[in-house]
Amino acid sequence: MTAAGTAVPAHTHVDDRPFIRKYVFSTDHKIIGIQFLFLSLFFLLVGGLLAMGIRWQLGFPGQAMPLGGWLPEGVAPGGVVSPKTYIGLVTMHGTFMIFFAVMPLLVGVFANYLIPLKIGAPDMAFPRLNMWSFWLMIPSGLLMTASLFVLGGSSVAGWTVYAPLSNTPDYTGVHLGQQLWCLSIVIFGLSSLLGSVNYITTVINLRAPGMTWFRLPLSVWALFITAVLAILAVPVLAGAVIMLFFDQTIGTHFYLPASGGQPLMWQHLFWFFGHPEVYILILPAMGIVSDIIANGARKPIFGYVSMVWAMIGIAFLGFIVWGHHMFQSGMNPTLASAFMVSTIVIAVPSAIKVFNWLGTLWRGSIHFTTPMLNALAFVSMFIIGGLSGIFMASTPVDMYIHGTYFIVAHIHYVLFGGSLFAIYAGIYFWFPKMFGKQLDERLGKVHFALTFVFYNLTFFPMHILGLGGEMRRIYDPTVYDYLKPMQPINVFITVSAFLLFASQIVMAWNIVRTLARGKKADVNPWHDCGLEWTVPSPPPHGNFETTPTVYHGPYEFSVPGAPADYVPVNQPLPAVPEGRR
Amino acid sequence: MTAHAATHGMTGGEHAQGAVGVHTQKLGMWVFLVSEVMFFTALIGSYIILRWGTNAEWPEPRTVLAIPITAANTFILICSSVSMVKAYAAAVRDDQPGLKKWLLLTVLGGATFVSVQAFEYHHLVEKGFLPSSGLFGASFYTMTGFHGFHVTCGVLSMIWVTIRAFRGKYAGGRFHGIETIGLYWHFVDLVWIILFTIVYLI
Amino acid sequence: MEATEHKAPNYIAVWAALAVLTVVEVAVVYLHLPRRLMVISLVFLALWKAMLVALYFMHLRFEPKRLLYVVLAPLPLAVILVVGVMHGFRGP
Repeated sequence: MTAAGTAVPAHTHVDDRPFIRKYVFSTDHKIIGIQFLFLSLFFLLVGGLLAMGIRWQLGFPGQAMPLGGWLPEGVAPGGVVSPKTYIGLVTMHGTFMIFFAVMPLLVGVFANYLIPLKIGAPDMAFPRLNMWSFWLMIPSGLLMTASLFVLGGSSVAGWTVYAPLSNTPDYTGVHLGQQLWCLSIVIFGLSSLLGSVNYITTVINLRAPGMTWFRLPLSVWALFITAVLAILAVPVLAGAVIMLFFDQTIGTHFYLPASGGQPLMWQHLFWFFGHPEVYILILPAMGIVSDIIANGARKPIFGYVSMVWAMIGIAFLGFIVWGHHMFQSGMNPTLASAFMVSTIVIAVPSAIKVFNWLGTLWRGSIHFTTPMLNALAFVSMFIIGGLSGIFMASTPVDMYIHGTYFIVAHIHYVLFGGSLFAIYAGIYFWFPKMFGKQLDERLGKVHFALTFVFYNLTFFPMHILGLGGEMRRIYDPTVYDYLKPMQPINVFITVSAFLLFASQIVMAWNIVRTLARGKKADVNPWHDCGLEWTVPSPPPHGNFETTPTVYHGPYEFSVPGAPADYVPVNQPLPAVPEGRR
Repeated sequence: MTAHAATHGMTGGEHAQGAVGVHTQKLGMWVFLVSEVMFFTALIGSYIILRWGTNAEWPEPRTVLAIPITAANTFILICSSVSMVKAYAAAVRDDQPGLKKWLLLTVLGGATFVSVQAFEYHHLVEKGFLPSSGLFGASFYTMTGFHGFHVTCGVLSMIWVTIRAFRGKYAGGRFHGIETIGLYWHFVDLVWIILFTIVYLI
Repeated sequence: MEATEHKAPNYIAVWAALAVLTVVEVAVVYLHLPRRLMVISLVFLALWKAMLVALYFMHLRFEPKRLLYVVLAPLPLAVILVVGVMHGFRGP
């Protein structure tokens, strides 16, 4: 199926603009994707360092932190993190990880880099808007980082900045820090929206001839659906945060009970955004993993169509489950029941996807490369994270485990065990295309093994802590007699977390060494069918010499009668003598 | 349409198979407007929830706000929407003098609206009605303030478009840019139609 | 060009309708109707005006159906947000 009367044929050309236009203020989606990569890896490091501070205090409460003496006395007297600093660490760890690490890594990197290449387009629909989308992240990141250093300290209200804690400086002593948080998030929201406009418009209008909707790779479907979620959810966050900012600055009382304001309204507005947000954090990961698992098993994805509908179902249902974050808020019980039902139902499309990944692996010819190992880890860790989610979905159970380390375990199983492993898989997989050099496989496997082991040792015991009643965001568990017996678990987790953090050095070293003196990579080292593997590594400005034509779906691996065990989408399938295709 | 886009084959977008059937710039603007709908939903929705979902004290809007002048201002904004659509019609039939005239009138209408709003704000503040004046003050200034901010951005964009029109950038059938900014302009008018009713009249 | 060729709508007629509806809205406020009737009338009038702008000025009446679906997508969500939260505050 080709489009009649389409376009001037695409062509690549030598980009002879000055350095600053080519690499700094670039409008090329590939450069922008790489800019996002380095920016977000930096913030991943920041988030990880903050986590180390958290874990030190939880493992060794009241003991001076190494290098703690370097912190100002007001922040860490005698090198011991103060309670207020601790809750600031917790808040900023969540904030940096979600907004400045995982979201930009999944969306900023992979949506930008992959979408035009995988659909056969020369660039995004609005390249200059795309540039703005990246460069807005800079002031946003600067404001958020600055909030760590201002007088009064950073926000201490958790990444969810509930009112009235967040809009009453009298409770916390935090003035400027919370305001900077709000401004940073509003700018971030704008960056996210501009990007999403680009991704949606590009996928709808710029697909190459033959690239019909149901021939799109699942990574593109996932990124498209994610962008739709962002368009609908992020503006609500912006509105809610603006009202919070006004409460702090111009004397409004939206969320303050004194003048009839409603703190609970903050929770509703935030979670109306917040729940679709967590699907924004997982859907692209699912899409990336689908691409990599099909590749690694040398088999088409099992149930491609149901995979698409499952993602659409998850996205749609994701808008009507937000109350499950508020079961303990004193909310209307009838409303709570409605949310319980919708939350349990949303497990179904997620389970369908898990079964489809397993079905893809079944009787496949599995190649245990580094990307594949990370993708397999995603599936298994996501199963665990999803299962704990079912516990939480049930209101009566959540009454007990809400606000405990059970929740912390869940979120880290889906965000680290899920999203981050998928991000790592994507980085290892597409690195050769981005940089023309392939990351070292041995170092990659070492990184994977260490990460996988220490990650599970860090986060699995948190389920136990939570069921034992340890609440989240707590400064010193040992002040409670009933928590003291579990303190050895906290120590165990802390040591595992330090080793987990240290293990990431292997990947950092791998990246630095490969960029500096890695061997030139093959054009298609993974023998994949995607369009991005039909162009040089890295692809030239404009991507394709001529607009490609797409002949079939994205996962034609191990096709009987084909010359290789994969058929790129821009090559027709071999004629079939008999039987079904 | 930039030269970059033309040479890179991004002109055929609306004919892409299984697409929505509109040209790329227009589709992008509509997607952006969808996000704006959700933004104003957060603000206006909060107003609705605070006013009718809680027991908060709430004065009758007409005792605080000036209905007649705001009704006139509403009419002015609607007129600017008409001049916008006339500008678009002129661009489609390549009537450059008509395009320039109607664009200038649109800028004038939008600027007048913002000025009247600013004058009204000044008057209200003098009367002692501030963002800290209860939930009504808070939500009134937030909703109308952000709407006014959107109109202002629209006016600035419209000035830029008008300058480009005077430079002949929309001659010879290149009217897509006029259509795109027109959509934004009408959207801002539409939000005001809703705001005027919910905030001033009900 | 656009998906359907059509005669340009009579923009002046739409403008006149919008002007009249605005006048009627203000009149309704000063007529001192029972509260419920006034609210319903005003909401109805506002929605009618909004529809005129969307369908004629924003051209949706003449656009491909798929664009309409894109545009309508946020509306159910807006309703869900407001109704859901109201329900949370006011009870069943």
